[in-house]
Amino acid sequence: MTPFHSPRRLFLKAAGVSVALPALESRGKSLASETHSPLPRRMVCIGNEFGMYPGAFWPTAPQNQVGANPEALSPLLEPLRRHRKDFTVFSHLDHGLNGGHFAVHTFLTGVKSTDAKSMVDGGISLDQRAAEHVGSQTRFPSLTVGSESGLHGGCRISWTRTGTRVPPIAGPRELFRRLFVDGGANEKSQAFDRLDLQGSILDAVMGDAKDLSRRLNPNDRRKLDEYLSSVRDVELKLDLDRRWQNVPKPNALIDEPTDLGLTRDLPKLYDLIALALQTDSTRIATLEIGGSFAASDLGIKKGYHSLSHHGQVQANIDLLVQIEKYQVEQYARFLDRLASTVEPDSDGSLLDRTMVLFGSGMGNANSHTNHDLPIILAGGGFRHGKLLELPEPSLQRVPLSNLYVSMLQQFGVETDTFANSTGTLRGLETI
Amino acid sequence: MSLFHTARWCGFAVAITASIAAANEQHEKTAVEKSTTAMLVEPFLERFCIECHNADQRKGDRDFEELPSEISDDDSLVDFQDILDQLNVAEMPPPESVQPTDADRLRIVQALTDAIGGYHAEKANVGGRTVLRRLNSREYRNTVRDLLQIDTTIFDPTLRFPRDQTVEHLDNIGDALVTSSYLLANYLDAAEAVIKRAIYPLEKPTVKQWSFRDNFRQQPEVDNVHKQVNGFKHMTLYDVIGADKPEGAYGPILEFAQGVPADGIYEIRVRAEAVNRLHPYDESFVGTDRDEPFRLGIVPGDQTAGELHLHQAVEPLLAEIELADEPKWYTVRIPLQRGLTPRFTFRNGLMDVRGLWTKLIKKYPDQFPRNLSGIVEYRRAAISQGKLPQIHIHEIEIRGPIVDPWPTASQRMLLGDDFVRVAKGESLSEEQLRHYIGRFASHAYRRQASGLEIDQIMRVVKLQSERGTSSLEAFADGCKTILCSPNFLMLAEPTEQDQNTLTQDALASRLSYFLWSSTPDETLRQLANEGQLSDDEVLRSQVRRLLEDPRSEAFIRGFLDSWLALRDLGSAPPDRGDFVDFYRHELGEAMRTETELFFRTMLKENLDLNNFIDSNFTFVNRPLAKHYGIDAPAGADFHRVTLPDRRRGGLLGQASVLTVSANGIDTSPVVRGVWMLENFLGTPPSPPPPDVQPLDPDTRGATSIRDQLSKHRQTPTCYECHRKIDPLGFALENYDPIGRWRSSYGRNVPIDPSGELPDGKTFGDIVQLKEILMDRNVQVKRSIAQKMLAYATGRQVVPSDRFHIDRAANAATGARDLVEQIVLSEPFRNN
Repeated sequence: MTPFHSPRRLFLKAAGVSVALPALESRGKSLASETHSPLPRRMVCIGNEFGMYPGAFWPTAPQNQVGANPEALSPLLEPLRRHRKDFTVFSHLDHGLNGGHFAVHTFLTGVKSTDAKSMVDGGISLDQRAAEHVGSQTRFPSLTVGSESGLHGGCRISWTRTGTRVPPIAGPRELFRRLFVDGGANEKSQAFDRLDLQGSILDAVMGDAKDLSRRLNPNDRRKLDEYLSSVRDVELKLDLDRRWQNVPKPNALIDEPTDLGLTRDLPKLYDLIALALQTDSTRIATLEIGGSFAASDLGIKKGYHSLSHHGQVQANIDLLVQIEKYQVEQYARFLDRLASTVEPDSDGSLLDRTMVLFGSGMGNANSHTNHDLPIILAGGGFRHGKLLELPEPSLQRVPLSNLYVSMLQQFGVETDTFANSTGTLRGLETI
Repeated sequence: MSLFHTARWCGFAVAITASIAAANEQHEKTAVEKSTTAMLVEPFLERFCIECHNADQRKGDRDFEELPSEISDDDSLVDFQDILDQLNVAEMPPPESVQPTDADRLRIVQALTDAIGGYHAEKANVGGRTVLRRLNSREYRNTVRDLLQIDTTIFDPTLRFPRDQTVEHLDNIGDALVTSSYLLANYLDAAEAVIKRAIYPLEKPTVKQWSFRDNFRQQPEVDNVHKQVNGFKHMTLYDVIGADKPEGAYGPILEFAQGVPADGIYEIRVRAEAVNRLHPYDESFVGTDRDEPFRLGIVPGDQTAGELHLHQAVEPLLAEIELADEPKWYTVRIPLQRGLTPRFTFRNGLMDVRGLWTKLIKKYPDQFPRNLSGIVEYRRAAISQGKLPQIHIHEIEIRGPIVDPWPTASQRMLLGDDFVRVAKGESLSEEQLRHYIGRFASHAYRRQASGLEIDQIMRVVKLQSERGTSSLEAFADGCKTILCSPNFLMLAEPTEQDQNTLTQDALASRLSYFLWSSTPDETLRQLANEGQLSDDEVLRSQVRRLLEDPRSEAFIRGFLDSWLALRDLGSAPPDRGDFVDFYRHELGEAMRTETELFFRTMLKENLDLNNFIDSNFTFVNRPLAKHYGIDAPAGADFHRVTLPDRRRGGLLGQASVLTVSANGIDTSPVVRGVWMLENFLGTPPSPPPPDVQPLDPDTRGATSIRDQLSKHRQTPTCYECHRKIDPLGFALENYDPIGRWRSSYGRNVPIDPSGELPDGKTFGDIVQLKEILMDRNVQVKRSIAQKMLAYATGRQVVPSDRFHIDRAANAATGARDLVEQIVLSEPFRNN
């Protein structure tokens, strides 16, 4: 184990004494009443729908050789060469689930949505669990970018504890507007009126719900409780909206983008997510690279889904790897950007405090299996630069959720469980 | 115990007047039967079943060693029912095992049937209950449409609602429909949007007119050429909207990009012509149909939603016009919303013209200048000198909004005759406000709103008045509150005092949400008020009335989506390279329409439910007929056709079912077999064991999927289920991933569609399989009845429903009979 104190402990101590820090210009204005942690932790999760072709993804080198032997990178990890000290690849990690496309959505939750109800935390996803911890410290507790289109509804990786998918932001334009576009004075006053009205509506319907509740049997009442707790949640959200209405949004450093389809939009989405982190508009972002990712925009005539069913035909595999390589390249570009952005008030970069997880709920698209998921974790204050080989499934399978426990702890969440975890991930050390 | 006896006892149970004496008598009878059942069943199981279904082997995940000799609870009920079902279809014991004699079989079937009937009779009072269920998105949309009489052709207040959870494809199961804070936040926004549309504008908008005669720029790719060739004197349409990188697929009026100033009906006049319909090129190369007139479509466009020359998320077809081959004027009326602009499309145009420019010049090099290179030069030459089919629009006139009547139906619905003076700024007295709020609340809540409930809403109205809003706005805010109340959003299904029967109001709602997915109308509410809905004949006639109403489209679509998973059509998009016709002819939509028309006709004519298994007719439009390789009717519409042979008969021959059970890339007998067992036959197989070695498809060699599967089936644990799954799937292998008929998999690997069912019956192809299924129509009918009951009640069926499901299925011959039987059944009328 590392001899250093884990930053988590430092953070916990610091939080208790409420260190007063000068407002950080580049980070936008936080709400005055918030207690600052010294430096924020951040988390970005990227999931794709069809996984990574195993033959081109897994490094052939023995454990710990990725960093030491620069020749050992696999074709799909090659775009990450310049970051080889900044990431870890994990082998033999998964959630122990089956279901092909119908299990892809479990990437960040570890449970199928249909089984979410039986879980203590209702099948909440990693990013949303972390977002609960951030709460109202940022304008957006989290940002989920993705689409409702794509095979069987797309990747669908971000889930609340009530078992609902977090509705994704559809493209760069909408993301830009949410992050940077403020209404005029007139719009603002209208917005306040609207918040007042919505508050009154919620008061009234809460009364209705309570009246109704008295007439119901216990089963129905449980169902109505969903409604009641939603009313309370929205009331909190309205409060938050009201408070943030007075805080101007940060200046956009780029022009409003147009949507050109996910393939061409991918670089812009990463740029906007980086800006969102940089301006502390959010600390959690999730990006779904769904089936709407058009291979034709890479000059490939065949469909992405079709190529993922390559049937071992080499020509298909080559094209599939080309698509996947593009996705890794954009991921690498995102890491470039985070690594080259200075964390205010520190001598580190944004990447040092941002965990960037890249992976998929699909292990092998040709056989529709969901084991041995391709998982890369970069940044975030972990000791990287290796392939962390975990035991073969037939020996003693380590759940992917263990990695998530480690990430949550690093994020500052006091928990030692997530979904079906059995502990933290052994072998992953913090700096 | 005879069936009659059972039925009679159920009747008593409903009435709740069964005397203690009767109950005792019943109890004694059951006790006697149980021992006879046990005497018969135990030795039978011992002799024919336990060998495989024991605690060690658990074949098919079933263990009868510990099975009680009588039905003691719902778990053992399921096992008994299972055994009975297997014996009925003679699937068990498997052919290679010792077989009972026919007499043995009959005796045991009778004993099990009686035992199950007896158990149901005992349990008649504790049927399944529908948990408080919220409206799903489509129910919400239909409800506000009917409640406020607003046009939802384009307007969709649920567009941003989180997608509803489904259970076995059903989207209206109360237990699974979660209310999240995301949804509730959307309810607030939707209520605002809906009420705004219902009340505004306050003044009748004046009719305006716009004309466009030139300057028809369209999109950057073609504008340069058009500028040179025609100086933008006309709009030119090339591609269909399904093209991948479309050029001239959407003709926007860029000078009218801001759209219309107010909601309403607009009259669109166009002077347009079909050009080069009879082009000089090879027909299969160009791909348009020389025998068909060109069809011009109109869809809405929103410049704030993206480029007007590209596809947008909301673009329903608002009008379609058949064009002559010379310029003529055409007039249509379409609904539009403020900010939306009409865009023109070429319904049966070219596909991927971007690639066609180059191909045309390479195919007919003599007709074009030499030494061209690059897409820009090819495009210019093809447009200026080629004769590819296209539509020209020379003039466009837009006039509107035409608002009639005024005040609108929505405005009258909310404020009656008082609307006009309130709109002028006059205030309503508190008493009047209360009256109108109460009236709307009673409509929205599908029952009389109580004084207390109206008080809740009035508090908001008063508060808003105090905040300084006008009388009308405060009223509107009250209406928004009503649309966010759980009394509107949730279907509470109360029962009569101390009984299981639904109240009349609740039954009216259950009926209208079953057949309309919407709120009950005045007639239903009236019948409920008069207490008439408990009358069988009234219920029957209401079912017919509701089915004849256009609102029943929601049932046709909603039920097919829930039964056959047609909702998923397009969620695994067919590969563009292999299945270009799917996009060219909007086949996905056509497939859906076929199945919906088929079901609609079965209901309307009360046709035999067996038609779902096999039929001598179906519905096709021209592209779908070509897809099927049958004679194509003329024109764009769907026609009922008599099928030349039985390959397309029934649902299993319809492309919708064949596409949704494939993945858009290839077919799998396993996936389609499972699909059929789950949805068509209602007997889902057990999930695969966790340690199963997955199939890693290898399409390089000359092996067929059948060969690859046969290896898989050699493992005994796999064989157990796959002998039920695979044969059904093999029979469907003659249909490709979008339902086209094929007799080989490319490269001359022939298809073998034959198979052997678990009971030893063999078939040569799908036609013969359907003949076998016809003999088992009971199973198919039961599966439909079961699904329909779940859909109708908004809950999953429970074991005690089985008796009622069988009764409904047995009593029904035609499709409409079945709907009536479901409505008359006890589970539908109880909660």
